[in-house]
Amino acid sequence: MKRFLCGVLFALATVPLLAGGIHGKVACAGQSDNGNAVVYVAKVPGKTFPPPKEHATMDQSNRVFLPHVLPVLVGTTVDFTNSDPYLHNVFSPDACADKFNLGTFPKGEKRSHTFRKECFAPVLCIVHPEMEAFLAVLPTPYFAVTKPDGSYDIPDVPDGSYTVKVWHPKLKGSEKSVSVHGATQADFQIAR
Amino acid sequence: MRMTMRDVRRDLFWLAVGLILFGARPAGAVPAFSRKYQTSCQTCHVIFPKLNPFGEAFRLNGYRMPAETAEQVKQPPVSLGAEAYKRMWPGMVYPSDLPSNVPFALNTKMENIYSSSQEDFGHQVIHNDFQFPQEVNLFSAGTLGTTFGFFGEITWAERPDGGSDTEIEHARLDVTSAFGPEHLVNFRIGKFAPNLYDGFQEMWLMTDNGVDTLFTYNPIGFRGGTGLADSGGGVSLPARARSIEMYGVAAHRFFYTVGVDSPIGPGGPNGTFGANSQKDLYARLDYKIGGMGLDGDTGGVKLPPENWREESLRVGILGYTGNGKDVNFDITDDSGNAFKMQDRRYNRYGVFASWYLGDLNVFGVALHGTDRLQLLDNETLAQISETTRNYDAWFAQADYVIKPPFQVSVRYENLRVADPTVPSIRTLNANFSLLIRANIKTMLEYHRDLRNSQNYTLATVLRFAL
Repeated sequence: MKRFLCGVLFALATVPLLAGGIHGKVACAGQSDNGNAVVYVAKVPGKTFPPPKEHATMDQSNRVFLPHVLPVLVGTTVDFTNSDPYLHNVFSPDACADKFNLGTFPKGEKRSHTFRKECFAPVLCIVHPEMEAFLAVLPTPYFAVTKPDGSYDIPDVPDGSYTVKVWHPKLKGSEKSVSVHGATQADFQIAR
Repeated sequence: MRMTMRDVRRDLFWLAVGLILFGARPAGAVPAFSRKYQTSCQTCHVIFPKLNPFGEAFRLNGYRMPAETAEQVKQPPVSLGAEAYKRMWPGMVYPSDLPSNVPFALNTKMENIYSSSQEDFGHQVIHNDFQFPQEVNLFSAGTLGTTFGFFGEITWAERPDGGSDTEIEHARLDVTSAFGPEHLVNFRIGKFAPNLYDGFQEMWLMTDNGVDTLFTYNPIGFRGGTGLADSGGGVSLPARARSIEMYGVAAHRFFYTVGVDSPIGPGGPNGTFGANSQKDLYARLDYKIGGMGLDGDTGGVKLPPENWREESLRVGILGYTGNGKDVNFDITDDSGNAFKMQDRRYNRYGVFASWYLGDLNVFGVALHGTDRLQLLDNETLAQISETTRNYDAWFAQADYVIKPPFQVSVRYENLRVADPTVPSIRTLNANFSLLIRANIKTMLEYHRDLRNSQNYTLATVLRFAL
């Protein structure tokens, strides 16, 4: 009996944690696929989120930034690495990203920058002008990037009512109010 | 030696035969776009090169799909700079892109021409030529980023003597939607078929023969023009011009174009470089009622599923003016005395109409031309006299789609030349076209001088594009 009650209590305690979250699909009109949209919870009332100690990473490989879109929490430090056998550079022209320029560096080196403001900033390589990526610097840690099929999953979102926003590098953003009760679905459509 | 009426008629006829037999006609189908968008020729063409309403919108949109999105482009271009560089201009080079494949396309045309003509003494002369191939056209066309585009065509054509001619028929850079509302302000610079002739230039005609009475009339003559020009001279309308042109579509239905180009003069249908210090001007204004908008807009209209059909009427006015100062033409009077002649002011005014009713498209142009001709001394170039001459040319053509692979066309042309002693030129052109495959076409075309039943040609044409 004791064991049974303990099991029930454990289950009740963990259900919100296991089931809570926002998932769904984002349809990106006119794009070759539905990937690279950032879905995020815009604000959690009364709560602030300290920047993570762990650094995020964006690599340059075969003259492509990987990942193409990197969402991070405000205050996160991003390490930019170079996996190509030639020089790369990393910079952003946007003021919200401090117009940082990490210089030019060879394979194996790493340069870092801390993003202190909310921002959607392009990241470029002046050596290879065709290279482009985006940093989404967000106010909460509840975010996800859509897969090519448009699906996303933001885990561990506490129950409550939130404004959920979508940002895309080429399309106009969208937002909607979402009441999260366990696993909650929210689909979006965005267009140019 | 005085030319008799019979001489004039004979010369005119042989000139016309020459144009038909050996005149290289531009081809307007560009499979490079088929590759880029992974789509069939029938998306834009009825039977190539004639454009359907969507193809016309595609062309006027700088060879981009109306409301184009990234997913419509099946061959993603090669980026020459990330989008973010746009915001950094002029600190950085403005980004662009390249077609991912070299955007070349090839058109090949083979033609058998059976021609009949009557000689001076009533003797009928028959020719039957295999012109295999008659011409090959190498196209290159595409877009360079979101604003620029390009179009080029090099034509290699065989001559009757076994030699060949190579010509850059088109080489131009387009600036699409340069500023302001989309579709409103576009520019083209280079050598091209001006939009002045949108809808009736031979590049977009389904018939093998072009409208010679519009484009190859030679107004130069002792008493004014007597007929069509040979390839070495003439002032009429330039089929292709070296030009800077602005054009656009407003409110989906209005079309305009204005251009400035090198003066027309000796040198065939394209004019010449540096003929004088002048520049010619041209302009056109159209309005389309019904059917698809000229920018591809389909709002508020109900279109049939067959993309060659619609019910619409497009009307336009057009004009061309120039000054042939210092461009000397050699002429002789009735006695054979030599003179020079300059066309000191040439004006062309015309109206255009195109009516679509389901499978039928009837279109035509009526053009009035005036030429202020100065007769000059052959040696001193002193002016002897000045006379203004007038001519009128018009044509009407009916194209009918029997079924998508089968189309018939009939065109009547009439040219009242300026020289009052020379009769009008009247011709009939009948065509049957068959698409063997989407990119292989055969045509049977009958062209007849309506003044003499023994003067005609029957052409069998095979064209393919890849």
